[in-house]
Amino acid sequence: MTAADRPLAAAPIIELDHVARWYGNVVAVNDISFNLGPGVTGLLGPNGAGKTTLLHMLAGFLAPSAGDVRVLGRRPHLDPAVYRQIGLVPEREAVYPFMTGLEYVRFNARLQGLPDVDEAARRAIVQVDLVESQDRAIGTYSKGMRQRVKVAGALVHDPQVLLLDEPFNGMDPRQRLAMMDLLCQMADAGKTILFSSHILEEVERVGSEILVIVAGRLAASGDYRAIRALMTDRPHTVTIRSSDNRRLATALMAEPSVFAVELGELSLSVRTAHLSAFRRLIAGASRDAGVSLLEVAPADESLESVFEYLVRR
Amino acid sequence: MTALPHSTSVSLIPHIALVTVRQLLGRRRALLLLLLSAVPVLIAVLYRLAGAEKVDGFAGGVLEVLCLNLILPIMAVLFGTAAFGAEIEDGTIVYLMAKPVARWALVTAKLLAAIGLTAVLAVGSVVIASAIAIVPLGERGLQATEVYGTAMLVGAVCYVALFVALSLFTRRALLLGFGYVLIWEGALSNLLPGIANLSIRQYSMGVGQLFYDLAPERARLEPATAIPLAAILVVVATLLATRRLMRLELSGSGD
Repeated sequence: MTAADRPLAAAPIIELDHVARWYGNVVAVNDISFNLGPGVTGLLGPNGAGKTTLLHMLAGFLAPSAGDVRVLGRRPHLDPAVYRQIGLVPEREAVYPFMTGLEYVRFNARLQGLPDVDEAARRAIVQVDLVESQDRAIGTYSKGMRQRVKVAGALVHDPQVLLLDEPFNGMDPRQRLAMMDLLCQMADAGKTILFSSHILEEVERVGSEILVIVAGRLAASGDYRAIRALMTDRPHTVTIRSSDNRRLATALMAEPSVFAVELGELSLSVRTAHLSAFRRLIAGASRDAGVSLLEVAPADESLESVFEYLVRR
Repeated sequence: MTALPHSTSVSLIPHIALVTVRQLLGRRRALLLLLLSAVPVLIAVLYRLAGAEKVDGFAGGVLEVLCLNLILPIMAVLFGTAAFGAEIEDGTIVYLMAKPVARWALVTAKLLAAIGLTAVLAVGSVVIASAIAIVPLGERGLQATEVYGTAMLVGAVCYVALFVALSLFTRRALLLGFGYVLIWEGALSNLLPGIANLSIRQYSMGVGQLFYDLAPERARLEPATAIPLAAILVVVATLLATRRLMRLELSGSGD
């Protein structure tokens, strides 16, 4: 399933129009189209799905074999000028090990031609919370610290577009949360952020907008909850706690939109085709049965369930 | 939105070159090359201690065969192919490529770094070894030092330019570089004199003849021919490297 492109208030920042990329006979990305505006978008997909290839095309490191890639209205391939507004955090860990963190960020600031290299570097180091380690050689950094210094280098010039390939790799939970906050802040400030991750919880925490790539194709795009709602061929599971689960189960079994009811020790698990219709009927059904509802919660609306469904389909 | 002005790109060349030097020196092979450059000096000390006084013998054996034919190309291949090659291999090239810096400036910075290191070690080795072994022997010793010092410098520039360009076209640049040095220059150029026009070693020796004439079997090109050929090689290699870098595709290690 491919959801419609998100409606954009202004001109899209990132545009892909029927983009494909192949290496010899191997198709890495196949006929992908989407538009992205400001905000955070998670790029999801199993290993080998084409996420890195897609990010590299957006970063101008790969030319599309077919279709058109535009960032801020420009084709990034063969156009170094576009890097004034793109920050990139690659997946590979390597960062110059002989440089200190501060040196590395200053180097990035300098290569961006910034007028005040020191101030820009200081600001970026503070943003990723690396002040205490800024004078240590990167070679002595932990994996998480290397990730953070890469992010600092990518945002030192305050780019409009930030592309991050597995940015949370190697970070401890506290660093991960701090980085998620930073991405959210940047998105609130109007930046366009696209990050790939295979950890669904990360994507779920940072934002609800996702692009799902499976086997080089765009399987879905948009708000994952909206995507889930469109999966009408897969029943929704709703967990219910009530004052009398057994009586409520009996009442629900009579409803045509209910496929199955499973009675648990403390709750009911109900499978239904239409979540919104079920939400409307559950109130009346419980009232008619003389049962008080304590909790009604969709059990499978998480990003993980959406992702699993799309990948296994 | 525009790329950085050329003047800014020029001003960034020393910074990029310095990072490249640190990168090249950080590799284990740099230590090996440092040791290699000490060999002629060690030989010179032994030569002097043995009381030998043959300028041409030392120049032909140590400066030409060992330094120019062997040590210089080895250093140039290793530094030249690693200037970009090591960054492409470990992925740090991304940090340079994702910048609005003119690609010719990146190539120039890499060339300067690799040429600088090769020249310092190789030319330095020749100059120090000569100063110990043959300069004290008179004017002929000084002339030989000038010939081979200049030849080493020209060779460093030409070899590095070639190998930097090569490293952007193939991941087997190291192998091809050694192939060029050992097979093309080492074996074929001795069998086929016409190859001199396509031999960096001959360009180097030819330019070295500005100081005194070498035997024709050692230097097959006159300076008037060698200088333009060397210049053409460097310019063409630099242009090709720049063009290639502009179109370089990086697929990443992920998916």
